[in-house]
Amino acid sequence: MRSLLAAHFLFVAFTAAAVAQSPRPTPRIPDGHPDLQGTYDIASMTPLERAAGTPLVMTREEAARFEKERADRVRLLALPSNGNRNAPPVGGDGSAGAAGNVGGYNNFWIDNGTAYYTIDGQKRMSVIVDPPDGRVPPLTAEARQRAASRVVSPTSDAQENDPGLEGATAYDDMERRPLGERCLLGFGSTSGPPSLPVLYNNLHQIVQTKDTVLILNEMVHDARVVRMNAEHVPKSIRKWMGDSVGHWDGDTLVVDTTNFTDKTRFRGSSENLHVVERFSRIDANTLRYRFTVEDPSTWERPWSGEEAWPATTDLLFEYACHEGNYALGNILRGARLREKTRDSKER
Amino acid sequence: MRTKLLMSAAGLLVAIAPVMGHHAFGGEFDPNKPVLLKGKVTKLEWVNPHAWIHVEIPKADGEKPCEFTPNAKCDEWMVEGGTPNTLLRRGITRDSLKAGTELVIDGYQARDHSLNRANGRNVTYPDGRKLFLGSSGTGAPTDGADPTEAPKGRGRGGR
Repeated sequence: MRSLLAAHFLFVAFTAAAVAQSPRPTPRIPDGHPDLQGTYDIASMTPLERAAGTPLVMTREEAARFEKERADRVRLLALPSNGNRNAPPVGGDGSAGAAGNVGGYNNFWIDNGTAYYTIDGQKRMSVIVDPPDGRVPPLTAEARQRAASRVVSPTSDAQENDPGLEGATAYDDMERRPLGERCLLGFGSTSGPPSLPVLYNNLHQIVQTKDTVLILNEMVHDARVVRMNAEHVPKSIRKWMGDSVGHWDGDTLVVDTTNFTDKTRFRGSSENLHVVERFSRIDANTLRYRFTVEDPSTWERPWSGEEAWPATTDLLFEYACHEGNYALGNILRGARLREKTRDSKER
Repeated sequence: MRTKLLMSAAGLLVAIAPVMGHHAFGGEFDPNKPVLLKGKVTKLEWVNPHAWIHVEIPKADGEKPCEFTPNAKCDEWMVEGGTPNTLLRRGITRDSLKAGTELVIDGYQARDHSLNRANGRNVTYPDGRKLFLGSSGTGAPTDGADPTEAPKGRGRGGR
């Protein structure tokens, strides 16, 4: 009896160890390649770049403190205001960024993550892992000259920091407005490539067949269609999000993207932008997303970033951006009126 | 020391991190035209890139008869919010804000002053509670803290 009991314990212990040591097998599609399908919410507190001199990895305690600060701030902003308050101050409320001195809108519309990316057990302080300083490499002389020669630079990741006082010609026609404002691509390179976390609507859905992988971005309902084991289209064909072809490197999906338009201009890049993305599984619920960006006519060296894409049961919704885009009209009308005022002052 | 350095660096990051959005509010609204709107909801445009709340404001020489204040005239204003998608995922829908609901809104008028449009810098109920937050059945993420709230957000697939 005693030996039977001992054997039983041994069996239980052995089984438990075996379960602990063999992670769940990678789910696969019928052709044997990993199944990467699902909806992923990449909202994160981790910024693309980090401050000079700071390390890539925070301690868990440091991360927990900053994450709590974010949560406390969200709670604070949800507290009631005074129902008998007055109008905000004449001359603006001093708010910066896209809130542009007029205060934007309430925080409850925003969904920009509650935690930093955790990758390989590390709380990451920047998306960029290479160069090691976590900064986008300096622009080449050619890229600086290109930027200076442009009247405006509506890029795919425009930081829409406009206080309404941008160079006057930036409003001369709608084609000079940022791509996000015009509903052509989501702001902040949410559409990718590379896909970066932004202020809200950070959902990306992957649908996979043997020959094609679809990456559907919530904003601006942009679908990237990756043709597997295919050649790029001829150089004469240019696309907002480039032309993507894919192949498998072991259990990693590699997506190679070229043929960008010269209007995409990711962080000042040229049409020679080349992005390589690598999708792999960290576990049953998380993808590792790694990208390398290169454009010798823009940066002195290639640079790479890494994100964790956690699966979500939330649904990705339609984002019909043109449907309610009153803002662009309001902005252009505002610019025409400012011109009149300026002209009358000059006279 | 390292912690201190890291703290100040992270603080700096928070301070300089640009708030990006679909478009520049500063180009659209006039910092010299602050407004305080007290009125009732007539319509909700639950659209992207930004939702617009229509409210009627009673005014002696208003442009049309009020819908919710008998024998009075009202001006209609449009107030710009954010993307509805984030709220949909928390279970808030276009039906969560009924016509006739009284709101207090502060913001700035469109640079084109012929338009009754403003940004919803702060949209609250008359008692100061933030719109969509803290109201039974429609507020906040569905965390179970409020027994009267919808058990599942409509955006939660299978949860």
